[in-house]
Amino acid sequence: MAVRPILIYPDPRLKQAAAPVAEDDGSVADLIQDLVDTMVAAGHSVGIAAPQIGDLRRVMVVDVSSSKLGQQQFNHGLLEMANPRIIERSGSRVFREGCMSVPEYTGNVTRAEHIVFEFTDRHGRLRVVESSGFEAVAIQHELDHLDGLLFLDRVSSLKTDVFRRKRG
Amino acid sequence: MQHFALTIVGRDRPGIVAQVTEILFNLGCNIADSSCSILGGQFAMILIISHPQFTGRDSFGEAFRPLEDADLTVALRVLKPGGEVPPHFEGEICMISVYGADRPGIVYRVAQVLGAKRINITDLNTKLVGSEQRPVYVMILEAILPAGVSEQEVDVWMTPLREQLQVDINVRTIPQVEL
Repeated sequence: MAVRPILIYPDPRLKQAAAPVAEDDGSVADLIQDLVDTMVAAGHSVGIAAPQIGDLRRVMVVDVSSSKLGQQQFNHGLLEMANPRIIERSGSRVFREGCMSVPEYTGNVTRAEHIVFEFTDRHGRLRVVESSGFEAVAIQHELDHLDGLLFLDRVSSLKTDVFRRKRG
Repeated sequence: MQHFALTIVGRDRPGIVAQVTEILFNLGCNIADSSCSILGGQFAMILIISHPQFTGRDSFGEAFRPLEDADLTVALRVLKPGGEVPPHFEGEICMISVYGADRPGIVYRVAQVLGAKRINITDLNTKLVGSEQRPVYVMILEAILPAGVSEQEVDVWMTPLREQLQVDINVRTIPQVEL
């Protein structure tokens, strides 16, 4: 379909919560294709959420299979997700995250190591999938975009935070 | 634009950041990178600032006098051209935690090993914790491992220090991901 421009913060759409996709929304397949095309065109990208191309519907795509980090573990290849929702999360893992919509800045973010999530695929089928590691982190990062959250909202701490404690 | 490095240190109390930044704001200075923290009972500020017209130390006049009158130590460094540009580091982010009973030389010995291997330390924090009877020293640093240096290799470098300094040393890389 089309490679769409990626919105860069401070575009206000990046801070808005996206709306659930309606069951009878026939244009979701087109949106998914645009997301895939844009993700692929962005080269190193492993995922993108609809708000990043200015569409405020709860749709996102993730594919870690072409990244070095993603190849080191089991992954699901291309995941095309409408109305994704995390059902279970466990463990924690820190990555230094960056985002195409917030260039030139990275921060340490703690996310769940394992997740179980559900979504509607391109063909309208409900799927439940389990994921771990980098793929799980990418899904959590993209899902945040659907809620108007950037990784900046998740940076758990300044690097010095580890020293912050109750004074004895 | 001329850039300056401004450092301010003094006994911690509420209002230091407000007082400093009010002066900078009124002067028309821009704050670029900055880091401010409590170290011991002292509040320490380091700021890279710039001003479209200021060319040197004299441009600031007596602007920082109120800070000195409030018992803060102020130092201004005039940066050479390009001194404000952050270097680009290519490599993996490596966090090293070192902790154990307090003893002289913990920071030095670890930094010495990394320096000798030409590893760049990009952040370093230390803190004396524990009780007065049993002080515990904690150091956490972030370094950039150039291509060809692995987490395992750094861990091996740390092995003699664990023994000699009687400290625990944990080495781990933080994956960097563009999402």
